[in-house]
Amino acid sequence: MKRYSLKWAAILGLLVVCLALGGCGESRSPFAGTYRSVEPFVGKSYIDLELKENGKGTWTLEGKTVEFTWVVNDGRIWIYTKSGAIIIVSPGNGGKMLSADMTADWHAGCPPQSCVTFRRVQEGG
Amino acid sequence: MTEGQDRSSERKVDGLILHELGQEVVLPAGARIVTQGEAPEFFYIIESGKVKVFRETADGIRTELTELAAGAYFGEVALVTGQPRTASVEAMEESRLIKVSKAEFDHLLDHNPQLSRHIINQLSQWLVHGDRRLESEVVHQVKLRQISWFDYALMIGLSIIMALVVNIYNDNKIPLIQDWGKGAVPEIALNQALEAYQNNKAIFVDARKSAFYNQEHIKGAMNLPLILFDLMYPLFRFTVEQTDTEKNKAIIVYGGSFSRRFDLELARSLKSKGTERVAVLSPYGGWSTAFPLEGQKPKAPASLPLGIPGYVEWLPVGIFVLILIPPIRRSPYLSVACRLILGFIFISFALSKIMRPAVFALNVVDYGLMPAWGVNLWALVLSWAELVVGLFLILGIRTRAAATLIGAMNVIFIVGLVNAIFHHLPINCGCVGEVGEPVNWWKVSKNAGMLVMCVQIFLYDRFFVLDRGGFTLRERKI
Repeated sequence: MKRYSLKWAAILGLLVVCLALGGCGESRSPFAGTYRSVEPFVGKSYIDLELKENGKGTWTLEGKTVEFTWVVNDGRIWIYTKSGAIIIVSPGNGGKMLSADMTADWHAGCPPQSCVTFRRVQEGG
Repeated sequence: MTEGQDRSSERKVDGLILHELGQEVVLPAGARIVTQGEAPEFFYIIESGKVKVFRETADGIRTELTELAAGAYFGEVALVTGQPRTASVEAMEESRLIKVSKAEFDHLLDHNPQLSRHIINQLSQWLVHGDRRLESEVVHQVKLRQISWFDYALMIGLSIIMALVVNIYNDNKIPLIQDWGKGAVPEIALNQALEAYQNNKAIFVDARKSAFYNQEHIKGAMNLPLILFDLMYPLFRFTVEQTDTEKNKAIIVYGGSFSRRFDLELARSLKSKGTERVAVLSPYGGWSTAFPLEGQKPKAPASLPLGIPGYVEWLPVGIFVLILIPPIRRSPYLSVACRLILGFIFISFALSKIMRPAVFALNVVDYGLMPAWGVNLWALVLSWAELVVGLFLILGIRTRAAATLIGAMNVIFIVGLVNAIFHHLPINCGCVGEVGEPVNWWKVSKNAGMLVMCVQIFLYDRFFVLDRGGFTLRERKI
């Protein structure tokens, strides 16, 4: 009986440690703030991007706001949408500029034809 | 070893009085007194101290038989039978023994019927105990090798329960079955769609990811990847308004695969935004042969480095070299190494996917092998199954069943990878949630290596395991 209790305790313990480690990430503070696209998206309208320190964020285009979550990993911002898309955003100029890869193909870089550049308009979140 | 003078005093062994017998020897702890297989020369009586009796195989596996203390004796079996020593004896602490030669022992038996009867009685008891030990060991081995449905039910059940419970409380939770119970989407037959295309009466929208679209699409079709729908819809609406100034064109969505995830869901999303004339192309794969196409040459999809698990993942490839060496191939230590490597790989891969099942579900869709109802269930349960069996392997619990399950997963992964390679699918592996690992033959060989590891564990794993037969460490103590 005791042996089985120990066995299950060991499994649950490892599970908790694994999940705890899996949930760790880098600080969001340097990139929290409000950003606006440098140019109108396809010449139509600007995109407003808000990154809050609590890991939530919004993407606003043409008055339509979409919520997402974000983390910082290996110096890049990973935006996760509800639908499962991942947009990798590469910071530049000390975090004042962001380059978002709109292919959602997890490019480490940002293909020119699918790259949206943002400029920070307000710090913090 | 030190030898003393001949003994002339009386000694008592298990109630028997022995006169003028043998020589006294004093042995330090760890000294080998009798070695298995050697010719017998002496019979020993323990005056003080403690010895252990054991057998040892050629490859070093030791089975401890018993421990003997003051008053006990050993070495009589080989002297009686005339066969080589059946076991080895080692002093556990400094021990004082009486060493009796074979001639003296024979003389003793001839003239001491009480001792003869005692030894016969002792040997008989050993035979009976030996039979019981043998039975116990056989039962242990059978239980150790036994696999029951309970093992699989335990691991799969645990995975399903954890997947469902965690999904309920997960901020990124997904429905168990995507679009279950949602209204049907109007379909348009291939010939009607082609007619609309030729008469410029419809806007064709490709719902797939941009990499698929870039590789090949209907000439002139727009790309609105379902996964970016929320972000891109305003732009899409603007583009449609620019294209369809008279507002009389239907929107025909295509790009479905076996899972029908992208095309059906995009059509529903467009309808939910107020777009009236939306239809889905049927059959879903017919467009590639019926319509004029355009696209670019297939190129390798984006990839990001995997980190430490990526290096560990190369170790299974090395198994192909190791299994060429028979003694290593059958080594239970290799099984332990395989368990640790597989456990680490599967746990780290699982952790990268568990908290964001939607991302993994889209990877599953990319392979085009899973029906719509199974995509989310598979995405949810597989990650937990990887974690659970990985933990079982590392902890040594139900390792044969765990190896079977990991092996089955590897077979499925290999089928998916080979299918993707042959169809030039521009996808990432999806093995690690948020890292774009390329799909190539190296990835197939890594999975094949892991499959071989599973077979090795299944056949030879027996150390550091907690199974039905109890916990088994390096040495078997009977």
